[in-house]
Amino acid sequence: MSELKTYKSICRMCGEGCGIEVRVRDGKVEKIVGNKEDPVNCGRICIKGSSAATWVNLENRLTKPLKKTENGFVEIELEQAMDEIAEKLLAIQKKYGDNAIGVWKGEGIGFAQNEELARRFIHAVGSPNYFSNDTQCYAGRYTAFNLVYGCWPQADLRNSKLVILWGTNPPAAHSYWTQQINDARDKGAKLVVIDTKYTEIARQADIYVNVKPGCDGVLAWGVIREMLERGVVDYDFVEKFTLGFDELKAYAQTFTKDYVAQYCEIDGEVISQIVDLLDAARPHITSWPGTGLEHQQDGVNSVRATTYVDVLAGAIDQKGGMLVTQGMKINNLEIYDEKPLLDLKPIGADTHPVLYHMRKECHTLELMDQILSEKPYPFKGLVMSAANPALTNANTGKVLEALSKLELLVVKDLFLTETAELADYVLPAASYLEREELHYNAAGHYVFLSTKTSDKGLQTEYELFKGLADRMGAGSYFPWKNDHELNEWLIEPSGLTMEQLQNNPSGVRHTEIEYKKHERKLAAGEKPFNTPSGKVEFTSEILKQYGYEPLGKFTYVPDYIAKPDAAYPYLMMTGARKPMFFHGRYRNIEQLRKAVPHGQIEMHPTDAAKLNVVTGDRVRVTSRKGSIEIDVLVMNEKEIHPGSVQITHGFKHENVNLLTDDDVRDPISGFPALKSVMVNIEKI
Amino acid sequence: MKVITMDPKKCVGCRNCEMACAFASSAKSCEREYSNIKVYHHIEDKLVMPVTCFHCEQAWCMQVCPANAISRDPETDAVCIDQSRCAGCKMCILACPYGNIHFDTEKLVSHKCNLCEGEPSCVTHCIAGALQYEEIETYVDRKRSRVDTIIGTRVKHAEQE
Repeated sequence: MSELKTYKSICRMCGEGCGIEVRVRDGKVEKIVGNKEDPVNCGRICIKGSSAATWVNLENRLTKPLKKTENGFVEIELEQAMDEIAEKLLAIQKKYGDNAIGVWKGEGIGFAQNEELARRFIHAVGSPNYFSNDTQCYAGRYTAFNLVYGCWPQADLRNSKLVILWGTNPPAAHSYWTQQINDARDKGAKLVVIDTKYTEIARQADIYVNVKPGCDGVLAWGVIREMLERGVVDYDFVEKFTLGFDELKAYAQTFTKDYVAQYCEIDGEVISQIVDLLDAARPHITSWPGTGLEHQQDGVNSVRATTYVDVLAGAIDQKGGMLVTQGMKINNLEIYDEKPLLDLKPIGADTHPVLYHMRKECHTLELMDQILSEKPYPFKGLVMSAANPALTNANTGKVLEALSKLELLVVKDLFLTETAELADYVLPAASYLEREELHYNAAGHYVFLSTKTSDKGLQTEYELFKGLADRMGAGSYFPWKNDHELNEWLIEPSGLTMEQLQNNPSGVRHTEIEYKKHERKLAAGEKPFNTPSGKVEFTSEILKQYGYEPLGKFTYVPDYIAKPDAAYPYLMMTGARKPMFFHGRYRNIEQLRKAVPHGQIEMHPTDAAKLNVVTGDRVRVTSRKGSIEIDVLVMNEKEIHPGSVQITHGFKHENVNLLTDDDVRDPISGFPALKSVMVNIEKI
Repeated sequence: MKVITMDPKKCVGCRNCEMACAFASSAKSCEREYSNIKVYHHIEDKLVMPVTCFHCEQAWCMQVCPANAISRDPETDAVCIDQSRCAGCKMCILACPYGNIHFDTEKLVSHKCNLCEGEPSCVTHCIAGALQYEEIETYVDRKRSRVDTIIGTRVKHAEQE
């Protein structure tokens, strides 16, 4: 008699954390559907989420550790693998220095807790070198938001009266936002979408602006200028709570409607239309900048310029605005106060000091250079938890060369990925359905505890880091027996119990939502915002401290405008996702791969005509870094900016990162300009 | 009796519904050809429209089927094709006024929505909330409350002026 059990849990097929119901028959995950009781996604999930039932049961999942030998990979026991890895890490530290090793968190098997565990582990064993995918996605915007108002805010979409999306496409990147935006629109909210591509969400926009790539900052300054001119400004908020308003006013004068229209190649009237909507909706305005801005040379400053719009409209910490949310009170796994290790030169902290200041995050692009140059010190051993930079980091050629040069590369993953193939040891990983983890929904102040829904006897993240730390003489930092005990310790300060979380798998609100906390704080004599000045900073004290221009000026003009190169006349954009994949992942789920079997280069019909190609033709795309061959997809003329092409990342045989530059960067965040790669295209 | 309702004011054309339906129907692929729900994007008209079978009370496909392969599910009221009986004559496809019946070029039989035994996969995968599986009167209520707000506000404004 077969036994069917159902568990409520949280999806981790991307970073959004939708509520799911997992149906398990005889210990095997059979089906995954949305959890109707979940307050975030209300029972709806995307195709990635339900396809996890296939993914976790794939026959080629890793179950035994692999060790690379002269004859290729051989299976070994976990204990042996852990012993050998720890021994080699210690030997590298002894030979080259404590900082010659590092850890790299990916997003293949977890998102929240494993980051803190990785940070704790590497500092506990004496190296400051923590890396992650975040230095190509997220950390740039995190830096920008924090410079302006001292937090990573949350858009209160459901209560919003105006939603502005800058270079972000929720249906592909934040699936549940789509539902929340539509809920708001049901109640009369308007939607503005600014994007170089006519994306899925743009199809429902009241105003869609097809801006020239990398010029969103110019448009934002145009909007700011008109807001100032027409007095669409919350002067009371600006006066009490902001720093640098005079500098902002003076600088905005440049951005007349004509100037912006010409620069961004748009109809200047949209600026007035956007300001009309801002005026009608304020302060209930949410505005979200995506990687479309972050992956530009002016990324941080363009994001800052968009946040200035929210600030001027008085949307900060308002219901239906940009929430300054309160995280759950938990114990801190990070040990930066105890062991900052700054004297050991965290990689990238010197070249991108603002990023390190804000995120305590080393830079993966700098890492590749340092492995190859051994300057300023040799780096020889790397432990990766489900990252796949061989496919997803900029400039694949250099990534492969650098990772191959390491004396020790350890990759923990569910599958033998492109990066795992380069590794000396591969450790099989437990998926999110095979371990216990705390999850948070920041906008709603919800906490969830997901439980083990099936058990394949595979090592969890906690067991990896504890196991290595124990063997490397740092076991005292990992006193908890397993992840359950760890979670128990983590939630101690919150006042919640594990039992409460277990009994409420559809989420518990850890703190009531409070709006306009800055007013209460000001009255109580506290710092209203978590910035150096305690105010919202148009002009950043931190940037000033590190010698950068304090105001978010449009400073770092994309190379393709500032120094065009006739040899590479097209502008290639990448880094935007498709709904069925998560970056480099899920091409191994057969039903998804069949739907989108290979990469394509998306182009404007005018460019297709110029190149004499139609959909399905093959072209060679060449950049300063490399060359790939790929099929053409001709878009509708409304769907993409002429002269711009788009290639989705994560396809092994059409790996766009063979083209991307790792040396064309935003000087503040160090982010690669993945959405402004100059390329040439030839028909083959 | 529940039906699938569709809202073109919410659909973004992400095609999660198509992929989910294709997999639910074929058990092997998310390719669009296997899907019973189809999203059409009419870009010139700024219109995205997801449409699947309406399960008509007077189902012309059912009436026209010479093989008696189409019947109504007593539980869900879905109009369903028994593919083991289908002769592949395509009469149902011709009879459907809405283009909601499709032809399986491998099995050489017709295929259409069967409401997934009362848990339609397209609806649970509709991340935009454009598809609902609901009582028709619930749909009417939702529509009324939206229209009420618009009309009511206008009336109030007019009176004030």
